[in-house]
Amino acid sequence: MPPPQLSDQQVAAEFTSYYLQRATKEFAEDLDKVRSADDFKNDALQILVSALQQGTAMFFPEEQRRIVTAAAGPVDKS
Amino acid sequence: MAHRFARGPDGRASQKRQKVVHEAPTSEEVHASRQLQQLLSFSQDPIRARHGLQSFKLFLDQLLGPDGNNGDRPRILKDYLQSTTPAADDESPVYLPDVMQTWSYGAQTNNENIMSAVPVVLALLLKLLSQSLESVPFGLGICRTLLQKRQQELVARNLSADKGKSFIISPTLRMLTEAASFDGGAIAKPLFRARASMLKSLARNMGIVHRGDEAEDTKRPSARSNAILFLLSALKYLHPEAKNELLSQRDIVAALTRDVKQDPPYLVKELLEGLRAHVLLDDKLPRDAKASLLNASTLTRLSALYQYRLDTPAEGETSIADIAHEFLMAACTSPGCGLLRQDAGFYPRELDPNAPIPTAVLDEWGLEVIVWMNKFKTEIPVRNYALSNFLPNLRPWSSLKQSELVISIFKAAPELVAHYFLNNKSFTFEPKLSATWTGYAAFLFHTVTLPIPDHFCRGPDFPALPPPTSIVVDNILPPPLNQKALSRSLANKSNMISFFATRILVVALEKLDAALTMHRDPSHAHKTAWAEAARRLVDEFRQRSPGVTEMINAYRSVPEGDILHREAASRLLRLCYEVLPQHALLAKFDVSPFLETSLTRLSRQDLEDPKDFALSLKELENLLSIAGYSPGMRWFAAPEGVSLSPFTRLLKVCIDAPRGVSLGTIREVVNFVAVEEGLVPRVDGHPGLLALLEASQVLRQSYPDSITHVWPFLDNCLSRYANSPVKYVEKFYDLIDEATEPAVQGLTSADVSLATIAMLEQLPFAAAKEGSQHVLRALGRFLPSFLGYSAAAGESKALLDLILSKMVPHLPDSKRKVKAGVLKGLQFQHNPWPSAKATETGKAKGTGASRKEELPTPAMDPETLEDMLHVPDGLEADNSALVRWSSKSVDELVDEGYLKSLVALLVSEHASIRKEALVNIRKAAAKIKESEYEERDQVWLLLMELAETAGDKINDGPLASPIAAFACHAIDVQRDPLSCLYPKVNTFLVRGPSWSPDRIPLVDDILEGDPIVPNTYYTQTSWLLGYLIDGLRTKHDLELFHKRRAMGPILEHVLVSATNPYLRWPLKLQVLRLLYRATCIEGGSTTLTTRFGIMSWLEATQAGCTDASEAAVYEALRKRVWETSDQDRVRAWSRGGLDGLSW
Repeated sequence: MPPPQLSDQQVAAEFTSYYLQRATKEFAEDLDKVRSADDFKNDALQILVSALQQGTAMFFPEEQRRIVTAAAGPVDKS
Repeated sequence: MAHRFARGPDGRASQKRQKVVHEAPTSEEVHASRQLQQLLSFSQDPIRARHGLQSFKLFLDQLLGPDGNNGDRPRILKDYLQSTTPAADDESPVYLPDVMQTWSYGAQTNNENIMSAVPVVLALLLKLLSQSLESVPFGLGICRTLLQKRQQELVARNLSADKGKSFIISPTLRMLTEAASFDGGAIAKPLFRARASMLKSLARNMGIVHRGDEAEDTKRPSARSNAILFLLSALKYLHPEAKNELLSQRDIVAALTRDVKQDPPYLVKELLEGLRAHVLLDDKLPRDAKASLLNASTLTRLSALYQYRLDTPAEGETSIADIAHEFLMAACTSPGCGLLRQDAGFYPRELDPNAPIPTAVLDEWGLEVIVWMNKFKTEIPVRNYALSNFLPNLRPWSSLKQSELVISIFKAAPELVAHYFLNNKSFTFEPKLSATWTGYAAFLFHTVTLPIPDHFCRGPDFPALPPPTSIVVDNILPPPLNQKALSRSLANKSNMISFFATRILVVALEKLDAALTMHRDPSHAHKTAWAEAARRLVDEFRQRSPGVTEMINAYRSVPEGDILHREAASRLLRLCYEVLPQHALLAKFDVSPFLETSLTRLSRQDLEDPKDFALSLKELENLLSIAGYSPGMRWFAAPEGVSLSPFTRLLKVCIDAPRGVSLGTIREVVNFVAVEEGLVPRVDGHPGLLALLEASQVLRQSYPDSITHVWPFLDNCLSRYANSPVKYVEKFYDLIDEATEPAVQGLTSADVSLATIAMLEQLPFAAAKEGSQHVLRALGRFLPSFLGYSAAAGESKALLDLILSKMVPHLPDSKRKVKAGVLKGLQFQHNPWPSAKATETGKAKGTGASRKEELPTPAMDPETLEDMLHVPDGLEADNSALVRWSSKSVDELVDEGYLKSLVALLVSEHASIRKEALVNIRKAAAKIKESEYEERDQVWLLLMELAETAGDKINDGPLASPIAAFACHAIDVQRDPLSCLYPKVNTFLVRGPSWSPDRIPLVDDILEGDPIVPNTYYTQTSWLLGYLIDGLRTKHDLELFHKRRAMGPILEHVLVSATNPYLRWPLKLQVLRLLYRATCIEGGSTTLTTRFGIMSWLEATQAGCTDASEAAVYEALRKRVWETSDQDRVRAWSRGGLDGLSW
């Protein structure tokens, strides 16, 4: 039976989570530096997370779906 | 209590302030209504009066208390009230006459305790009476009593008591609050009518705030709190006209929010909710009334609540900051709330975008005739004045909510974007790894992603005139995003900063694209003005954006594993090619190494997460798009150190991709290249490269090891074919000629993939290699399957049988294969059969394969033809170039076009300018020669030969345009030693110290000679056509193009080359642009027709067209040639063959 189709909201949520995870991995060092900056207070963490994830807007919903649903694992080589 | 000044023994006032002592009143328990009557009866003894009032207060407190066991008290009160009810026929009935008299007496004797105690009991009593329907008439009676003149004076006196007398002011305000809301606001209207007394000192009382270190006690609210509650109660029950008048009192409105930051949470909540419900959302309240409340200072004070720290909201409870945010969002972005005014998008206030300017005037003078076009670079008048004053008080970089508010305001009033940034110059984007910079970047990203208003003006149609370019560009790249800041961010050593800048540029380019599309809308009345505005927009954008070279460098510096960053950087470059192709192509970006890296990463399959693989594919797609735009892309040449060509590696990626990854775009690109290169037949219904993909996929599934042996063979065949396609066309016909089967006779090269012929040719060589058993075994599995799928794809089975029969002697297990022939009826399982359109066209490239006779040629109007074929004059004189170059560095001189502008002046009509230009060229050459510039010798040589060629001849007339155009274009070659034209241009330069002034350089070398650098024939042709177009400007230039030469006139040579069936559409378009340029010259069309038979050439080429849209261009150009020629002469020349009737 094919897996159930994800709704647009689910795709968006899953893509955002993937995007954030990728961004935090790629910019781990820089993020640490920002977090230790003098002006990192109050809303700064929220702003940082929001700033990172706003890049998801560059991907059309169908592109997000393509990336999110590419999760079935590599082709069987046997 | 009044101040009392104690006097010392000497009669002078004591230096010490006398301590005010409030003596606590005595009281007694009330047991009967008669007792109550006695207690409250008027007495001139203040102690007794206070005793009675205090006893009544405690009695009412008990009745209002949470303890429900009140015993006889309700009855006692009822009896008491009935006993004091005035007679029904009384004209001005006074309820509670004793209490009122006591109050009056207290006021007369200045007894502040009594002045305070009476409103206290009246407030409590009204509160109690409002709880029961039965007691409402009595309560109303008390309220009306308060409105009588005598009581009004008492109220006014209480309200205007000294600021320090909160104990008098507060209960009076409480009493008025109860009265205003009593019985659903029954007396609110008369209360407001008596505003001179009832609202006395309201603004001042709102300023009497709680003092002290502790928070305000909710049980003992300050005078300010009571005053605000009274005002809210009035706003709730007053009719719109009265509210309007109330809100027009500036002192009250100002006092309302002045101290809001220090107010207790419950009060702020009530204030915001009250104002929202009874002012903002009151549809009957006039717009001006709302606007007088929502002025910039009110909004600014309310925005201070974003930092409100006095509340500690419980879980699930909304914080004050959130309530304030919702209030501000509604107030600032909802048109019904009175603050937001409808603006005209990118058109500022006070200008007429439909000003009646005749088209002829606009065509002649351009945008300069629109007086306001350049007016808004420093100041922009806006309609939303209050909002524009409020915005600078917000800090969108340090608060998510404030950012949301600003962005929502920008969205609701787009006119404010440019205004905001122009008036907030301190806002800088200098990169720094800090929370503030990140906040700036996020805010700017949001601003750039805001949509462009409909038709730029938020109206149903485009106005007649384009919006001011400066405003459009301020919306695409707001001023803080200047070239310097963006370049520094892109090149920053912090990857995150570079990433953020890249993303902003991506969305900015997308927005620029949208704006340019809107500028090019066919519905514009003044097309030339809009077209000029579009050009200006591009120019201004380029002045703010970093150069393409910097973007390329930024992409280069992204670490290999940062696929998110790589995707964004490659997307940015792709957008440059799509939106600003002319500038992107100048950057000479060689996409091959990046493509190589991306392919290698995808082939290695070291991306564990399939999502990473899919994201990497996005990068690959971007690179493939760039490759599609790059004329120099070498699809079939394997880079050094790599065994397979990019094309074959793309095929490999398609086959090796994890399951579930969508490969649609990549397949489209692969297929597009295959169709363009002629690897597969360009006919309707043929699925393109799918037969090859399907066969490879089947093999990979069944024999994963075999496919690895097939790739090198396949790569070899495809590359050989791509390098000399004609050879395989000939081989195909040789095969047909040799064949005896009738079914094969008469077939054409469109009936089979020519790649198959290459495989047939190469198979014997593969078989002859030592140690080729593995390869042959793999090919033995692959080739029959491939031929089977080719047959299923509609290719000639008879021919494929013939090919298989010629292949099998070289394959293992040949007998069985011969017997079986080409497999029939194979089904495509892995590759969905595409629609005809998808197989024939790559993204954004029209390469239809349908036959001409099946499609009617759509007519093309002259404007569209002009848009498509008109190229701006590349040698346009800019006299300022004479002085500008001297202040520039050598790098800027060569790379940024200053040198070219100087060379272009050699074709000026004025002898003095030409002479001056020549002197300056010599000086510039000397400067370059002496510099450290890497290519100084080559550039110097070019310039000196140009100067030598121009020499004294420029005294007699302008230099021939082709010579100047050649020099301009050759500068680009000389500064880039990797250019495929570098050897040719330098060989030409070393031939002699000057060039023949009436010969156009390099034409034969490029069109006929060896390309020297393999696979660059078309790139070189593209360069040649580019310079020829720039070099054809005058009648004299045209003479050079049709001058007799040993190899025929130049133009004839070009036209012959353009008949090459493998010439791609962009190059054909260049040839057509050259012809179009000729038609713009006086007598050009006649020369084209009578000397070159251009009409027949166009007709014949049109007939060979497989795409209706291409055919339309030929048709329209033919029409233009006819219309711009000397028709009588052409008619006579053609002996009536051409008479224009066909149009």
